[in-house]
Amino acid sequence: MSAETVRTIIDDLGALLLFTMILILAAGQIYRAIYAVAAQSLLIAIAAAVLATATGNTDLWVIAGITLTVKTIVLPWVLHRVVRRMNVRREVEPVIPVAATLALAVMVVVMSFHLSATLGPVNQAITGNALPVGIALTLLGVLVMATGKTALNQMVGLFASENGIFFTAMAVTQGMPLIIEIGVILDVILAVLVMAIMVLRVRSTVDADIAGLDRLKG
Amino acid sequence: MMTGERSLGLLLFEMTFLVLLGPLVTGIIQKIKARIQCRQGAGVLQPYRDLAKLFRKGTVQADTASGLFRLIPVLVLAATVAAGALIPVVRAGPPSFPLGDALLLLGLLALARFLTAVGALDAGGAFGGMGASREMTLAPLVEPVLMMVVFSTAVAAGTTELGALAAQRGTSWVLAWHAADFLGFAAMLVLLPAETGRIPVDNPDTHLELTMLHEGMLLEHSGPGLGCMLLASHTRQIVTLGLVSALFFPIGPANGADAAGLLLGVGAFAAKILVLASYLALVESSYAKLRLFRVPQFLGIGFVCALTALALRIL
Repeated sequence: MSAETVRTIIDDLGALLLFTMILILAAGQIYRAIYAVAAQSLLIAIAAAVLATATGNTDLWVIAGITLTVKTIVLPWVLHRVVRRMNVRREVEPVIPVAATLALAVMVVVMSFHLSATLGPVNQAITGNALPVGIALTLLGVLVMATGKTALNQMVGLFASENGIFFTAMAVTQGMPLIIEIGVILDVILAVLVMAIMVLRVRSTVDADIAGLDRLKG
Repeated sequence: MMTGERSLGLLLFEMTFLVLLGPLVTGIIQKIKARIQCRQGAGVLQPYRDLAKLFRKGTVQADTASGLFRLIPVLVLAATVAAGALIPVVRAGPPSFPLGDALLLLGLLALARFLTAVGALDAGGAFGGMGASREMTLAPLVEPVLMMVVFSTAVAAGTTELGALAAQRGTSWVLAWHAADFLGFAAMLVLLPAETGRIPVDNPDTHLELTMLHEGMLLEHSGPGLGCMLLASHTRQIVTLGLVSALFFPIGPANGADAAGLLLGVGAFAAKILVLASYLALVESSYAKLRLFRVPQFLGIGFVCALTALALRIL
């Protein structure tokens, strides 16, 4: 594949990643957010495979495989199970209205484009829109965490935010050392598993609404 | 790639074609919906029979309605049909004389919407007023987003004239799709049910006060007037679908001057419209009507997608 083709494909994948992110932000039900984040991970895996064929970096194939199995199948399945086990209300209840979240999202996207334009030399070294899209994805993931009331929403947000970091790292460096990437993936797996167990345990004694944590301060 | 200009005769043919085919698209959507719901359903020609019946009937009018009320259906139909003239159907390429662009098209559709609401208010019925107020609440959410989607593709082509825009994109549309096109198309998919008055935004099948937006506004019309309004909404639907195909799938034969090229262009257009109509039918069968207060949230997805598409294109 020529560099131009790769750039176009990565750009297109970036647009689709942003679209799944918007779906997560606007999801009215937690199931839909989980499916959207699984689709997002699938796109990340495809991006890794594309970069692997383009650069001939075998590490990226490993990354694509791990992303596909762990983030597209296993983690969404765990989250899905947690939702079913908890019998929570499936509606997402955000702290601020969804319309306000979407307006904030627009600002984040525009801001990250401006931000990466001011980076100058760094920006020139990177192909296409990968950098601004990656920054936007990371920040939007944080936005999901900030506006979600339940721990489940925050898991989805963390997950999405990590996808953004991953996309940026991959597109910017054309493949980081394998050990770092695996470290990042392990981080997220651990975080999600720990949070899943915590949510299930906490749920059996108190409500999993993190708004209640306010009253914990001494 | 074709850059040949479209003559007046071709434009008139395309406009007539759109108006004549409009009810058929509605019929096909109804048929697909019926099949998905395991019903036999009425034939695809049913909308034509409905129209023929309505045009034979007399008109009953509310006492409170003014003289404008009788004119409304004709004006709405005229505005919608005029909008249809701006859609490239058979082949791409700008018209051979100054005609108008996508902005005029959206303006004409907005005018038709405004006149429909005025007519509903004029008759003085409670349902009509309700429908008009709801339609006017949602219109400012739909129209700017539609405009942004048009801009996001027009920026790349350097023109807002739909024929020239379609020609600019060429025939290899899927390879030429830029990242922004994916988001623009996603925004369009969200907007399509809103613009054509379908579930999850509106329900075209009932006049129930809980669901009605567009249908509520038609309650006071009868006979040929109602026929005109229905024909206008069929035309509006196919015009919107035609707009999507001109913006995102401008495939057509290279030299459509001869009869074979003309036929091929018509076939390609019909195929594209059929795909989009099946999408509408699928969405309508698999989703419930949203609560009115949830609709802005749904349309918000389209808004963010369109704005992001513009950001990808410009920034």
